[in-house]
Amino acid sequence: MTHHASGFTIVTLVPSLLDTNGDAQNAAVLAARLRWAGHDARMVAVEERGALPDRVDAVIVGSGNDSTLEPARERLLTMHDELRRWGTEGVPILGVGTGWELLSWGVETADGRTVEGLGVLPGRAVPRPTRATGDVVVRSPRFGHLVGFENHARDYVQAEASPLGRLVSGIGNGRDAGQEGVVMGWVIGTHLHGPVLAKNPAMADAFASEMAVRAGTTYEPGERAAVVDGYAEEARRAQLRVAGIALPA
Amino acid sequence: MGAGSLRYGPAILVGRFVRFLARLRKPGGGSAIPGLVVNRIAPGYLTRTLSGFPDGLIVVSGSSGKSTTTKMLVAILRAHGDEVFTNPSTANISQGLTSALLERADWRGRVPGGVAVLEMDEGHGAVVMRGVDARLVALTNVMVDQIDRFHDSEMVVSMLGKIAGRASEGVVINADDAALERLAARLAPGVAVHRYGVAQRVMDASPRGLGYAETAGTRLTPEAGVVVDHVEGRRARLVDAEASVDVELPARGTHYAVDAAAAYATARAVLGARFDVSLAADALSSIPAVFGRGERVTVRGHEVEFVLVQNPASYQLNIDGIETGTEQVLFAIGSDVRDPSYFWPVDASSLGRVSIVSGSKAHEAALMLAYDGVEVDRVEPDLAHAVDDFLAAPAPTRGVKTIVFSADAMRRTRAHLGLTGADE
Repeated sequence: MTHHASGFTIVTLVPSLLDTNGDAQNAAVLAARLRWAGHDARMVAVEERGALPDRVDAVIVGSGNDSTLEPARERLLTMHDELRRWGTEGVPILGVGTGWELLSWGVETADGRTVEGLGVLPGRAVPRPTRATGDVVVRSPRFGHLVGFENHARDYVQAEASPLGRLVSGIGNGRDAGQEGVVMGWVIGTHLHGPVLAKNPAMADAFASEMAVRAGTTYEPGERAAVVDGYAEEARRAQLRVAGIALPA
Repeated sequence: MGAGSLRYGPAILVGRFVRFLARLRKPGGGSAIPGLVVNRIAPGYLTRTLSGFPDGLIVVSGSSGKSTTTKMLVAILRAHGDEVFTNPSTANISQGLTSALLERADWRGRVPGGVAVLEMDEGHGAVVMRGVDARLVALTNVMVDQIDRFHDSEMVVSMLGKIAGRASEGVVINADDAALERLAARLAPGVAVHRYGVAQRVMDASPRGLGYAETAGTRLTPEAGVVVDHVEGRRARLVDAEASVDVELPARGTHYAVDAAAAYATARAVLGARFDVSLAADALSSIPAVFGRGERVTVRGHEVEFVLVQNPASYQLNIDGIETGTEQVLFAIGSDVRDPSYFWPVDASSLGRVSIVSGSKAHEAALMLAYDGVEVDRVEPDLAHAVDDFLAAPAPTRGVKTIVFSADAMRRTRAHLGLTGADE
């Protein structure tokens, strides 16, 4: 089933600065699910442009600290052309937390700094009065109910036309918009931090399927995925129970 | 002569009475309630008492290693004949500290002791230390620790900066921690900076580093501070400009050697010319094994190793420390870890196979282990049930039964097994 000699390559960008919450591990989740499906797949950590592999099948940009916004932006900027090209070509890109914010038009911090974004996604991040921390549930038209955890100091505005989904619970993009995340084709930004793809296997499989289609092959979740997704289902249920959230039918 | 004052007599009496009531309800148990009450009715008591020790106050704080460092420092000072007041590691926030002081106070609130050595929670320390003057502040490290509590490591650095700002004589820092080096550069002029750290080869022996949020680019030399020159199992060598000493650690692991270096460097700064190298080395070597971390106990006829996981760095170090091929592992994450996301960067693949995953975050933990390629035989969220079944299984043919747990799961496990220290 292997479609090309080197197999699938999922890159995680600047993990030394952008993996505070384990978001970069979403790349490992995709690689594991593709391997369980019988494909060759690997995760490559890329700190700067020179380390990019020849072929990129998916991209993860994780979350960092406010103190590293500028240096992380500098490193991402070296890959600006590639990020734009991947976005245009439909390579799935997942930005989480500050990683997402850096892919936007710009980030305004509470201490008055403005960090110009890479402009790959519409909208901008603006300070909110209090930090948003807690459980989030999102109803996404593409991926079903997404369950996760948010921890961010900024709202996200000017992308109201293309959210990832509607909030069932949580603060998400804030400003009482009832929305979470932003989507442009296969470039997706979300506040759901950590291993969002592990916790939401439907979203992970949508990524894997799209990667397979782009590579001229197919993806069917492996047997191992069924066992592991059982853990994900129980973890989602436990989180919803503790948070007192009932999913609408 | 001790710290305290007549004006707090009534509050102390109330606090003691509350403690008496708390004891009736929960015999033998320590409680933060008396501290809470006294802090409410006599808000100045804690500040005034902490500032009142005749030989001053030494504060130990940082993301991890502070309780071991505090124990080691107290042991060294006591070996030199000093009368030391210290707090149990679980009483490192305001109410607990006040309760710990009350525990030892006379009716006027005076606490015996020449010098106080206090472990202070990095989050509450900045508030507790408001208006309190310390002689020395020793800082262990800044780790990506408890992110759901502090949001990011920069917040920890800023809180530690506030604690360090209360030091009048000096600050003792881990020179391998770049964030602490930056913090030291901002201290007021006249405040001495003492350093400790590891030699390059010790750093090289930990392929994943020592877990600091940011590791400094250069290593400390013995001329510039106390250097962990060598670690092998439970033995370590500390070298500085004055001497080279071999010490026995309370458990294997480089982080204990670093804690020993921190305590050694701090004791040298406290004692000055009175510091005796061999007294210090003997005191360090006599620290009992630390409970919960690499601790071996015999329960229900089995030798069991307990491994405590408190933050990603200790998780990685402790997982790496478990003998490869250990056949029976119980892995338990409790409700203290609200969102386990930040544990995901840790590579647990060396575990290979886990017999039971348990605790209120059992399925999250199983998910994390599965993506690390670890086989999970069973998920049993009920911890008591899991512990019973784990211990009822026949002894392993390889390795000892090993229980890896978060702090909350550790307390529940110890309580379930009737082990001491379950409710400290």
